[in-house]
Amino acid sequence: MPTSLMINGERRTSNRDPMTPLIDVLRDEFLLTGAKSVCREGVCGACTVHLDGRLAVSCLVPIGTVEGKDVRTVESLAMAGELSPLQQVMEQHDVVQCGMCFPGILMTLTSFFQAQPNAGRDEIKAALVGNICRCTGYERLVDAAVTLTKRS
Amino acid sequence: MADSVADATAALTDDGCVPLAGGTWIMRASIRGEAQSRRYVGIGRIPELNTIDVKDGEIRLGACVTHARLVESFAGLAQWNGLAAAAGAAANPAVREMATVGGNLSTQDFFAADLPPALLSLDAAVELVRPGGTERLSVGRYLDVRRTLEPGALMTSIVLPRRPMRTGHARLPLRKAGDYPVAIVSMAAVLSSDGRVDVIRIAVGSVEPAAGRWTELEEKLLGRPLDPDTAHEMAEATADTFTGRDSVEAPGWYRVKVLPALVRRATQAVLSSR
Repeated sequence: MPTSLMINGERRTSNRDPMTPLIDVLRDEFLLTGAKSVCREGVCGACTVHLDGRLAVSCLVPIGTVEGKDVRTVESLAMAGELSPLQQVMEQHDVVQCGMCFPGILMTLTSFFQAQPNAGRDEIKAALVGNICRCTGYERLVDAAVTLTKRS
Repeated sequence: MADSVADATAALTDDGCVPLAGGTWIMRASIRGEAQSRRYVGIGRIPELNTIDVKDGEIRLGACVTHARLVESFAGLAQWNGLAAAAGAAANPAVREMATVGGNLSTQDFFAADLPPALLSLDAAVELVRPGGTERLSVGRYLDVRRTLEPGALMTSIVLPRRPMRTGHARLPLRKAGDYPVAIVSMAAVLSSDGRVDVIRIAVGSVEPAAGRWTELEEKLLGRPLDPDTAHEMAEATADTFTGRDSVEAPGWYRVKVLPALVRRATQAVLSSR
């Protein structure tokens, strides 16, 4: 049964089996390869997207459950060609290393800062417990995120 | 995807059909080599399973209310300190947005779940729609029968009694956050004006394969002034009633060994929840 959904503001339809994880549809069918398929069990956070404005690990979302929903991927953060403020501070602090975890981290922090724009260092770290960086670049990315809260 | 409880229960009468709520456990089955069902019915879109209904004597949580919604609804309310702590510390932020209270009570092989002990301590009940009609079971009873429910049964809500209690939830993950706790202690108590225990319910999670009450400790604490040192001492005297489960994360003896320390922390949380 086809599933119709909005992805980054565009109406899309997938004919994949309803139990197919959303991450596979995003990457294989719609070529949105920002979200990464890594642990496939909701632990690493590399596939994090926004589903109706809320965080979701897309490896655990069956495509059949998202009919009519609004999906935002990391590609939506700079839709107008300009990096989001979060992306800008990350670039200024030279945070990105291998890049595998980074799209998920951007999506987690984008959602987190909408709810808590003035969060402190410990709260930022707590928000990131579901995003694992095997380059262990945590401190530098938290440093960058803290400058964003001070700026706002 | 079912649009109503009637749709869902009709699909579930097919033996082997399984309800799918947040999906956070079922979707990992293939990668973990666990058995998969041949048929699922999605229940996440059924309106009455997504409501939180606050009444005079009780609060009804739809079975598909997520951990994140529990935190949004209960954080900062002293009486529900334990429930908010349980829902707010489990897993990670994205999984908390997806995983549901009904799923957390129903994933029988998820031994380290936070909500079963929290709901046991709150004396919560579960409402099931069964082929013969609607039935209300205590959470403890539900945990006993959840493996053997007949086809067509569906949990629709969790009912929290509203009482003037103070509550706490203490958990010990091996990292600071993000992994499964090796042991969990949830406590709810009604204290008299001089600080003595009038009513107390203590539940333990993650130590044994299913969460359960710690009635020996409850009996020892009843009528005494509640303080962390006494609770710790009584917990040490009665912890041998548990048989810890061995796993790659922690041996069974360790899970039991840390229980008195968690009882101390849960007691502190109860005493500070005003």
